[in-house]
Amino acid sequence: MNAPGLGPELMERGHAPASDGAHATAGPSAGDLAGGASARHRTRAREVAARRLLGLALVLVPIGWAAWRALAEGGALVNVGGAKLLGPLLSQALAPRLDPGFLAVVLDAAATTVVFAALGTAGALVVGAVGGLVLSDVVWSAHQPAWFRLVRLAVRGLLVSIRAIHEIVWALLFVSVLGLDPLVAVLAIALPFGAQTAQVFGESLDNAPRRSLLALRAAGARPASAVVYGLLPSARGVLTSYSFYRFECAIRSAVILGVVGVGGLGQELVVSLQSRNWDEVWTLIGAVLVLSAIVDGWSSVVRRDLAVGSCSDWSAGNLRADRHRSRHVAGWSFLLALPLLVAAWVASGVSLSGLTSERTRRLSASLAADLWPPALPLGGMPELTGAVLDTVAMAVLAMAVAVVVTALVGPLAMRPSVSSRTGTSAPVRRSARRFARWTGWLGARTLLLVLRSIPPTVWAVVALFALFPGILPGAIALGLYTGGILGRLVAEAWESLDRRPLEALVAAGVPGSLAGLVALGPSSAHHLITYTLYRFEICVRDTAVVGVVGAAGLGRLLSEQLSAFRFPVVTTLLLASLAVSLASEVVGRRLRNGLRA
Amino acid sequence: MSPAAAIRLEGVGHSYGEVEALTGLDLTVAVGERVALLGPSGAGKSTLLRLLNGSLRATAGRVVVLDEEPARLAPRDLRRLQRRIGLIHQQLDLVEQVRVVHNVNAGRLGHWNVLQAVASLVWPREREAARAALEQVGLGWALYERTERLSGGEQQRVAIARLLLQAPDLVLADEPVASLDPARSGEVLDLLHTEAADHTLVVSLHQPDLARRHCTRALGLRDGRLVFDVPSADLTEHRLADLYELT
Repeated sequence: MNAPGLGPELMERGHAPASDGAHATAGPSAGDLAGGASARHRTRAREVAARRLLGLALVLVPIGWAAWRALAEGGALVNVGGAKLLGPLLSQALAPRLDPGFLAVVLDAAATTVVFAALGTAGALVVGAVGGLVLSDVVWSAHQPAWFRLVRLAVRGLLVSIRAIHEIVWALLFVSVLGLDPLVAVLAIALPFGAQTAQVFGESLDNAPRRSLLALRAAGARPASAVVYGLLPSARGVLTSYSFYRFECAIRSAVILGVVGVGGLGQELVVSLQSRNWDEVWTLIGAVLVLSAIVDGWSSVVRRDLAVGSCSDWSAGNLRADRHRSRHVAGWSFLLALPLLVAAWVASGVSLSGLTSERTRRLSASLAADLWPPALPLGGMPELTGAVLDTVAMAVLAMAVAVVVTALVGPLAMRPSVSSRTGTSAPVRRSARRFARWTGWLGARTLLLVLRSIPPTVWAVVALFALFPGILPGAIALGLYTGGILGRLVAEAWESLDRRPLEALVAAGVPGSLAGLVALGPSSAHHLITYTLYRFEICVRDTAVVGVVGAAGLGRLLSEQLSAFRFPVVTTLLLASLAVSLASEVVGRRLRNGLRA
Repeated sequence: MSPAAAIRLEGVGHSYGEVEALTGLDLTVAVGERVALLGPSGAGKSTLLRLLNGSLRATAGRVVVLDEEPARLAPRDLRRLQRRIGLIHQQLDLVEQVRVVHNVNAGRLGHWNVLQAVASLVWPREREAARAALEQVGLGWALYERTERLSGGEQQRVAIARLLLQAPDLVLADEPVASLDPARSGEVLDLLHTEAADHTLVVSLHQPDLARRHCTRALGLRDGRLVFDVPSADLTEHRLADLYELT
């Protein structure tokens, strides 16, 4: 080692070769150096161990606390009478109601759901396009007047608060102004989705190659023309791909929003569940599954066609502006999407007149007056903090359930790799194994699809048959649903792992399973943790959904207060949900960045 | 100030924070001159070109380009000036995802309003002018090709066609041939100098023989200072050795 200063520095970073070098160097200083190095190694090892322990504590302590909170509420957990309902529910699975009259109802409800999703997505794209342009840094030249900076900051803050509130809460608020107008569902999707889309659009514009934009500006083009010519073409693939992903999410959301009473598959489902018409429930679940599968499939074909962004990329906020391959499917999809949208609009009878009617104006004015000043619920501060803690505990437990689902189903849900290992087993056994592997894959993907397609409201209503209202049924319902999403994200991320280290180990004669553990274990664990943290942020927001059907937490309190018209309390609860969801976002981002470092 | 000066620099300097990129530059370039800008990487060539284009403001001294002072212009007037300045880069700055006609038309973008620009992305305007410009660079067939499918040399010629359509009074070229082989480099510079014969040309280069062949004047830039300013015929090996010497 010719530069003694270099040795410790390298060792600080835990480079093994550096210490080897120190040992190999002859000379009086080598011994000292090696001694110092091993001491440092020991400190470093202790640091690593401490980090591991801290990480473990970060996982176990919240789960333990949440479990204690869920179980220590006192009283019975299992509702024996209600649990008996699960038997008939399950036994009807093979005998769904299929008479033409009911099928017509189902078809109509499915069409309504599609209409909500399509119009909601269209609205979200409008909000997203405008908001994205405002948020994007590259669109605005460096010289902005101070007032305009302030406007942009205000818009950013507004969009963040809009998307921090779950769409079901928006729907409840809109219902109290607009009544049971289909417009409620459309707006409730368009607003929070639009805010989210604005953020992604803004980031995509900023991440797109900007050389041509700068060149056009340098050639004296008008700012707007320069953006249209120089930026949009290169960002177009990402924007289209994300729009389809949003539509996919909007379908799920439109089903969930049905619970508010504005129609669609979700409403039919909850009504049938509560009136215990199990055969209808199964028909409706079938319809939801078919619809989700069609839209998921369509959207993933479009996204693959554009070669930009898998679901997992979008969810974790990874933006990739890959070169386009072909745009046939995407092009056709656009041709298909536009008439679909117009037809949807016409068929649904959604009219914007509800927004400007005399009644709406009167109600929104009185709502605005009622909402301020905020007030505490009847139980005072303890009730509020209790609801906040319940929300957090529910989200933590739900994530624990989701991770268990993912760990069990995820490995099977990975598309079997094409590059088959050169095994020594006979061809027949190999093909049999391959068959089993593909069957397992199909089963796992179907299970995940079922878990995430059945709305959490339905999971919650079912869980509330068997369990008394509280954190536990909500957590289970949300956990199963989130597990379906998390499992797919993680499986997709695992599929795209770099397999070369594994192949290198196998080629070096290491047994397959051991090689997999060593070569892919760390990076797959990393993916699992990253996505779990990310989904946790969403899960906190999603607790509102299971709350509305009566589980626990801020969502439940909110829907109770809304139906009792205690609007000042509603304001407090909205602010509390905003704070909780922003806090979870900040903590989640910190942890994710910490992991990346 | 003589109206025949295309560029006039008086004590111009530019620093990025602590780092001084250009210092005390005095220079006059007459209309119609073809100036080669030589110098090692990091000498300040790109900074100088950006100052001349008005996309960068000098931190010291006065820059006068085409009888205007870019630093003193309102954004709208600066854009009007920039429309008269053609810029060509080693990285081409073409929009790869659209058809060639749109990239050529980008040369006219400064003269269109926003609606015309948007409409032109759907239904290209001034197609005949674009085709004529492409034919001048030998790419008449490529009007409706997707830009990303063309080779590097072809893309370079698309950038020149865009320049032709822009019809600027001053052409600034930042290492336009750095990624091309010698034959294609000569071809591109030929295009720049025959098609822009009545314009002023400032081009940064790494190949002295190209400078000798295609330019009338050569500037040597090193560490942000002007080392020599000679007719390109006087570009001796001795001067070049001094300019590129490693310290």
